[in-house]
Amino acid sequence: MILLQSPSRFLLQTLLNRVQNLEKGVELDYQWVEFDDVRYHVQVSMKYPQFLLLSVSLPTPAQEAVFSGGLPFGAIEAIKASYGVLVQILDPPKDGFNLTLKLNLSKLPPDEEYKHALLVKIASVREVVLGAPLRVVLKHLASRTVAPDINRPFALVHRPKESFFLVPQAEKVTVVFPMRFKDSIDTVLATSFLQEFVEARRTAGLNNAPPCLWSPSPPLELRGTAGEALSANAGFVTFVIFPRHVEGKKLDRTVWSLSTFRAYVSYHVKCSEGFMHTRMRRRVESLIQALDRAKPDLEKSKKTVQGRSFKRLSLKEAHTNSNSQRWS
Amino acid sequence: MDSAASRPAVVIDNGTGYTKMGFAGNVEPCFIAPTVVAVNESFLNQNRSSTKGNWLAQHSAGVMADLDFFIGDEAIARSRNSSTYNLSYPIVHGQVDNWDAMERFWQQCIFNYLRCDPEDHYFLLTESPLTAPESREYTGEIMFETFNVPGLYIAVQPVLALAAGYTTSKCEMTGVVVDVGDGATHVVPVADGYVIGSSIKSIPIAGKDVTLFVQQLMRERGEHVPPEDSFEVARKVKEMYCYTSSDIVKEFNKHDKEPGKYIKHWRGIKPKTGAPYSCDVGYERFLGPEIFFNPEIYSSDFATPLPAVIDKCIQSAPIDTRRALYKNIVLSGGSTMFKDFHRRLQRDVKKIVDARVLASDSRLDGEVKSQPVEVNVVSHPIQRYAVWFGGSVLASTPEFFAACHTKAEYEEYGASICRTNPVFKGMY
Amino acid sequence: MANTSRLYFTCIRNTLEAAMCLQNFPCQEVERHNKPEVELKTSPEVLLNPVLICRNEAEKCLIETSINSLRISLKVKQADELENILTKKFLRFLSMRAEAFQVLRRKPVQGYDISFLITNYHCEDMQKHKLIDFIVQFMEDIDKEISELKLSVNTRGRLVATEFLKQFI
Repeated sequence: MILLQSPSRFLLQTLLNRVQNLEKGVELDYQWVEFDDVRYHVQVSMKYPQFLLLSVSLPTPAQEAVFSGGLPFGAIEAIKASYGVLVQILDPPKDGFNLTLKLNLSKLPPDEEYKHALLVKIASVREVVLGAPLRVVLKHLASRTVAPDINRPFALVHRPKESFFLVPQAEKVTVVFPMRFKDSIDTVLATSFLQEFVEARRTAGLNNAPPCLWSPSPPLELRGTAGEALSANAGFVTFVIFPRHVEGKKLDRTVWSLSTFRAYVSYHVKCSEGFMHTRMRRRVESLIQALDRAKPDLEKSKKTVQGRSFKRLSLKEAHTNSNSQRWS
Repeated sequence: MDSAASRPAVVIDNGTGYTKMGFAGNVEPCFIAPTVVAVNESFLNQNRSSTKGNWLAQHSAGVMADLDFFIGDEAIARSRNSSTYNLSYPIVHGQVDNWDAMERFWQQCIFNYLRCDPEDHYFLLTESPLTAPESREYTGEIMFETFNVPGLYIAVQPVLALAAGYTTSKCEMTGVVVDVGDGATHVVPVADGYVIGSSIKSIPIAGKDVTLFVQQLMRERGEHVPPEDSFEVARKVKEMYCYTSSDIVKEFNKHDKEPGKYIKHWRGIKPKTGAPYSCDVGYERFLGPEIFFNPEIYSSDFATPLPAVIDKCIQSAPIDTRRALYKNIVLSGGSTMFKDFHRRLQRDVKKIVDARVLASDSRLDGEVKSQPVEVNVVSHPIQRYAVWFGGSVLASTPEFFAACHTKAEYEEYGASICRTNPVFKGMY
Repeated sequence: MANTSRLYFTCIRNTLEAAMCLQNFPCQEVERHNKPEVELKTSPEVLLNPVLICRNEAEKCLIETSINSLRISLKVKQADELENILTKKFLRFLSMRAEAFQVLRRKPVQGYDISFLITNYHCEDMQKHKLIDFIVQFMEDIDKEISELKLSVNTRGRLVATEFLKQFI
C-alpha cells in the first residue's frame, strides 16, 4: 500500500455485512480510533435493523482553527450533498462526538454498483467532514474565484492541536504544512524525505504537479500568524495548487491527499524503518555466515543438525528444542 | 503517555492460523485475517553487482517493492491469481519463524486494516506459552523502534482465555485452557495467572483435521463436489452442520431411522462451469467432531482422546492445584464451537475422574471416603475469540497501562525489559 | 577516500594479528574462576599496552589486550544527523544479537559505538586468521551498510515524494 485509502476499512466492512442481512436483527456496538485521532462509534439495535447510528469525533482543533458549531465549516452541506436522503444528522450529536448520523440502509439504491459506491462514500465520512473547508476553497479555485470573506491566510485542522494553513487567491491556493514529529529518529528521517519533495518535483515527468518548497523556518506567506502555531521540528512544506489540480474528478483526490499529508509522510517513515530492519537482518545473516566460516569443525556439526548452521541465532535453537518437547 | 492512555489500546492476537485484531473495549475483533503474507519476491532475485546507473534503478524497484505485499485473505487470493506473489506463513507452531514477514504483517495490520497511528495507542500482543524470551525481545524491538508505540504488553494466550471467562463475577485465574485452534490443540494449565509450563500437553488434532476428515468421508461416499473446492466445501459444511454426539452407535441409529431429520443438503456452484450442484451431508455431521474423542477413526498415529489428555495434564500438575483445575476447564478457539462439545467433554472427563476416585476408595476398603472431584467445563459465547476478548477486557482495566513497558524504559534499558510481563492486579 | 580506509583496516588487521595471542589464564583473585582480564583491569601485569588507531577525529579504533582476552572498540564516522541515527539504529540492532555473534559485546565501551570481546576460548574454537578476517569484514560491512542505508533513505524519500505528487497530475 503506497497511498492512504479514503474509506475506513472497518466501517466499510460493517456496512457491507449489514446490507447483506438487512432483515436480520443484530446488536452491534463498536468503537474504534483512526489515525489523527478520528474516533468512530457504530450502533445497530435489534429492534430497528435497517438503521445504523454512526458517530464521528474529530481531532481537537488548535486555538487558531476552532470549529464553529462543533463542525468544520461547510461540513453539513457536504454531508447533505454526498448522502442525500440516506442520512439524517442528529442534533445534538452523541456525547463525546462531533457528529452523529442516522443511516437508513433500506433507502439504498437497488443498483449494485451505485449501492457499493454510496457505501464507500459513507465509509469516507472522514474525508467528507474534515475535508469540507478545504473542499470549499478548492472548489472556488476551480472556478477561478475566491470564496467571499475567505481571502487571507487561515488555519484548518490537520491533527489534534495542529493546523495547516491556506492562502487562497483567485488563480492559486498556497498550502503550508508545519511538520512536527515526536520521535527524534522519525524527525530526522522525515526531514530528509521532505527535502526530497523539492528534488522530486524537478524531474521532467512531474512538471504539472503542484510546485513545492521546503524550508526550516516559516515561509513568508505565514507572516503575521501567531508564534506557537509556527513551531515545527521538521520544517515547513509549501504546495501551490492551481486550477488544473482541482478540475472535475481530481478535486476529491486533491482534498484527501492534502488532508492526510502528514499521515502519509509518517506512514512512509515507519515503512522505511521496517525496510531498514529487513536489510539489517540480511546483513546479520551474512555476517554470521562469515563467522561460521571461521570454525574448522563446522562441517562435522552441519551433518548432525541436518544442514542447518549450528550457531544460528539462539532463537532458532530454542525454537527447535521447544518443538521437540511439544508432542507428549 | 497520558493521551495514549485515554484511547483504547490495540489488541492483536497472532495465532498460527488466524490473527484477530481490534481495539480494547469491543466485544469482537475488528478483523480476523489468516496469518499469511504474500510477498512480491521478484525484486530480491536481481543480483546486487551491476553498473551504477542500473543499480539506482533496481534499488528504486527494491526500495518501494517491499511495500508491494498483501496479508490475510487478500494474500491468498493474490497468490492464487498470479505467480509473482509467494505465500509465507510467519508463525509456525505458535512461534514466529520469519521476522521480516511478521514485521510486514504487523505493518499492514496497523496501517491498512486498523488504520490507527501506532504512536497513539498502547499495544497488547499475544504469544504462545513456552515462547523463548528472545522472541519477546525481537517483538519489542519491532514495536518500539519501527512503530514507536508508547507502551507494550505481551500476554500469554491461555491466560487471556481465562480472563475472558468472567466479566462481571470474580475472574478465576486458575484453570485449564483447552485451546483448539486450526493447526494444533493445546491443553495448558494455569495457576494464579502463571502457566505451568512442564504440564502443557499438545495433541496433533485440530480444526484442520476435522475438515480433512469431513472431506475424506464425503469423497468416500461419492459426493459430487468439484475437487478443487472440496476442502473449502468441507470447511463450510463443518462450520454449519457439525455437532457433537453423546454416543456414536446411538447416533448412527438415529440417522438411519429418520434420514429426513438428520441429513442436510449442501448447495454450491461449480467454479468452472457455473452450474449448481447439491450433495448430502450425513454421518460426517457427528463423525467430524468425534475425532477428538476417538482419534483412531481418523488416524492411526495418535490414539489418546482429548478427555484423557486433559486428565493426564491435570494429574501432572502440582497436587494442590488439581481440584481447582478440574473445576475450571475453559474452552477457547473456533474448533470448540461444535454444539454440545463442552457437555460431551465434561461427561467424559468426569467419567475418568470418578473411575479413579472409585478405584482409590475401593483400595482403602471404604474406610476413608474422599470428597468427590467437581469437573466443570466452561463454555461461553465468546469462545471463538476467547483469547482476543480476554485481551480486550484486560486492556480496558486501568492497571493495564501501568503494567505495560513504555518506550522510555525501552530507550533506557534496552529490549531486555520485554522479557518479563508480570500478571497484574486488573486480572483478578 | 577509499585509500585511507584500506590503510585504516590494514593497520587494524596487523595490530590484531600481533595482539591476538591469547592463552588460558585462571583468575588470580577468585579460586577456580576464569575471567577476561581486559574487562576487570585489576592486575597490571597481565594487561598490555592499549593501541589507539585513529583514521581522523571522528573514526578511531581502540585495541586493548590482556593475557587471556582482547577488546576492540570502534567509533564510527557520523557525518550528519541522518548518519548519526542510522548508525545508532544499526549498532543497537547488532548489539541485541550479540549472543549470535559470540565475540560481540552487548554494550559498547564508554565513548565508543560498538565493542568486541575475544577470549582465549574463542581462539580455541575458531581459526585465528579467519576470526581476524571476520572482525575486519564486520567493520567494513558497518561502513558499507550505513552508506547503503543512507542511500536507501534518500531514494525512498524521492519515491514517496514522486508517488504523492503524481496524484495531482
